[in-house]
Amino acid sequence: MRKSHPIRRFVLAGAATVSGIVLLLSLKPATDPASAQAADGAAPPAAASPQGGAEAAGAGTVTGEAARTQYGAVQVRLTVSNGRITRAEAVQAPRGGQSDTVTASAVPRLNRAAVAAQSAGIDAVSGATYTSAGYKQSLQSAIDKANAAGGAARGSGSQGSGSQGSGAQGSGAQGPGSGGQDPGAARARTVTGAVARTQYGPVQVRITVAGGKVTRAEAVQAPRGGQSDTVTAGAVPRLNRAAVAAQSAGIDAVSGATYTSAGYKQSLQSALDRAGG
Amino acid sequence: MTTTLAGGRAARRQTMRRIRPRRSPAVPLVVALWAGAAAVLWLWWDNTPSLADDTARILAAGRITGLLAGYLMALVVLQMARVPALERRVGSDRVARWHAMSGRYTVCLVAAHVFLTMWAYALQAGRTLGDVVRQTVDSVGSLPDMGKAAIGTGLLFVIAFLSVGGVRRRMPYDTWYHVHLLTYAAVYLTYWHQITAGNDFAVQPTAKTFWYGLYGVVTALVLWYRVVTPIRLNLRHRMYVEAVIEETPGIVSVLIGGRRLHRMGAEAGQFFRWRFKAPGMRFSSHPYSLSAAPRPDMLRITVKAIGDHTARLRELEPGTKVWAEGPYGALTAQRRSRGKVLLVAGGVGITPMRALFETLPGAAGDITLLYRANSTQDLALWGELSAIADERGARLMYAVNSPGGERPDISAERLRQKLPDIGEHDVFLCGPPGFAQSVYEALREAGVPARRIHHESFEM
Repeated sequence: MRKSHPIRRFVLAGAATVSGIVLLLSLKPATDPASAQAADGAAPPAAASPQGGAEAAGAGTVTGEAARTQYGAVQVRLTVSNGRITRAEAVQAPRGGQSDTVTASAVPRLNRAAVAAQSAGIDAVSGATYTSAGYKQSLQSAIDKANAAGGAARGSGSQGSGSQGSGAQGSGAQGPGSGGQDPGAARARTVTGAVARTQYGPVQVRITVAGGKVTRAEAVQAPRGGQSDTVTAGAVPRLNRAAVAAQSAGIDAVSGATYTSAGYKQSLQSALDRAGG
Repeated sequence: MTTTLAGGRAARRQTMRRIRPRRSPAVPLVVALWAGAAAVLWLWWDNTPSLADDTARILAAGRITGLLAGYLMALVVLQMARVPALERRVGSDRVARWHAMSGRYTVCLVAAHVFLTMWAYALQAGRTLGDVVRQTVDSVGSLPDMGKAAIGTGLLFVIAFLSVGGVRRRMPYDTWYHVHLLTYAAVYLTYWHQITAGNDFAVQPTAKTFWYGLYGVVTALVLWYRVVTPIRLNLRHRMYVEAVIEETPGIVSVLIGGRRLHRMGAEAGQFFRWRFKAPGMRFSSHPYSLSAAPRPDMLRITVKAIGDHTARLRELEPGTKVWAEGPYGALTAQRRSRGKVLLVAGGVGITPMRALFETLPGAAGDITLLYRANSTQDLALWGELSAIADERGARLMYAVNSPGGERPDISAERLRQKLPDIGEHDVFLCGPPGFAQSVYEALREAGVPARRIHHESFEM
């Protein structure tokens, strides 16, 4: 019987719902807290193949740690034979709704790319950025395990697992190209620098090195959202070109993108250090 | 001819018990509703580690609105399942208002869910906000069960549009009602994509089980209380029209015979939804209050001829078969918390009041009935009311317009003057919305606490 104006009720309910949802969204962290800890949640023990000695013949499988992405967990299993990755597959991948479609198209390509590259330095599939990042992370973890268990998977010298989240930089710091020079000299390899934090977001640079020269530079992470998208879109390609041209981190900052440039140079230097190390 | 339904004594004995108001379960139910909503939000929270960019945030908002809409959809259906705890304890009118309110809210959530999800998918596919429509077409074509969901959502929007006040008033009640029944189809169609395409259900088997459970329970309740229970009731009691009596110009009583009608469990103040198997009336059911306490062989409803359906009641032939669903309504003696009771009736709102006037337990002077009508000719059932008043020592007052058409004064002062201890009364109120509102305000001003004003209104 108490009077309540329908319009008022409508506005109140709408405002309460919108602010509730916005609050929930804003309480979620922007970066994946789990990725730094290598997915504590779903981490079945790696089925590292207990091959006899180092580089023993015979195939074995290694399962990487599950990488949690915002669309779901990704977990990669490798079949390693004679120190080479002969097969890669995703035992977990995002599911549900649009994710099914994305997974169906991206995962087979990532699998092929992993076998082709023999490393985690594979390109992200466009339209499946997060799945690709999770895939690379889990792939790197599988390669690390295979290395630990059986010596060397060829090509693991390409360090840095693409999308290493916060904190755990330098995960690829072990045994760069251990004896893998023979094929590696001619072949291009990619090295990912440490994440540089800027006030607009993290910047992380990946370089492709072939024949001792930087043939390609790209940012796997750069500030995003709002104005940052514009700045990143304008600055990063120029920084990439500058890095290849200079073959060093001594490049000029792009005006209007001071912080991004600084972060870029920092991460680029770290990548160069690792590549040259 | 006046037919006074006697036999009130037996009925009065039935309700003659210690006055102890039964608390309405509304508060615990609302608490349960919020707890469920919190659980649904937690499900999303637990499944989402982080939100890296705006696309992810938009998608998350789409998921939250979708989950809430799916949850509320089940409750909106549940509210209309005619569950006795809701109909008789909370009150059919209140539940109907909940239904309308949560229904509107759910439709808004569905709209937000569709828009946000498709917007996020468009961004993921490298498109822009302007491509939402194209993205929707793509997604409907490619994702599991989305075709069904799209049809269901379209139905929901049509139903929602037809339920908007202005549109609804312009169409016959029966048409609206039958279109509204399509909601069941819409809910069924949209249900499947929640399970197959819903990320949170794909990754959480527990959540999926819970969702099956929620919808399963609601389906079972709807089938039981809307299908099985009415069939059993009507097979058992086999009701038919005994006679139709014109009480005053425009107000008719229908006497309904049948078997062991006192076993239906109806109380004074309650109503049934009636369906008469006569031409033009077969497919629509209408709620009419009992205007007398039920007798083993007879029920009576009293109806004012305002619409098509009510006008046709006058022409009902004796012997016409009757299909009834009920009893529903919470405006019964159980609401009462005090010894003294004031009943206020406006126009045809007298029907439940008449039944309560006869059966509410009370000593002489405890019960007062105030009856408002346009003129003394419009005071339907006045003869019986006087007889009951005499027999029980109850007070009976009426208020009609003056010969000049002036409205009678029902103000706080007048009420206090007539009933100096009005603050000690429970008040049962039934009448047209405007009347009920003004009487409610007068009663509050006269010192009757809101919790002791018992009122039923089917105004949305």
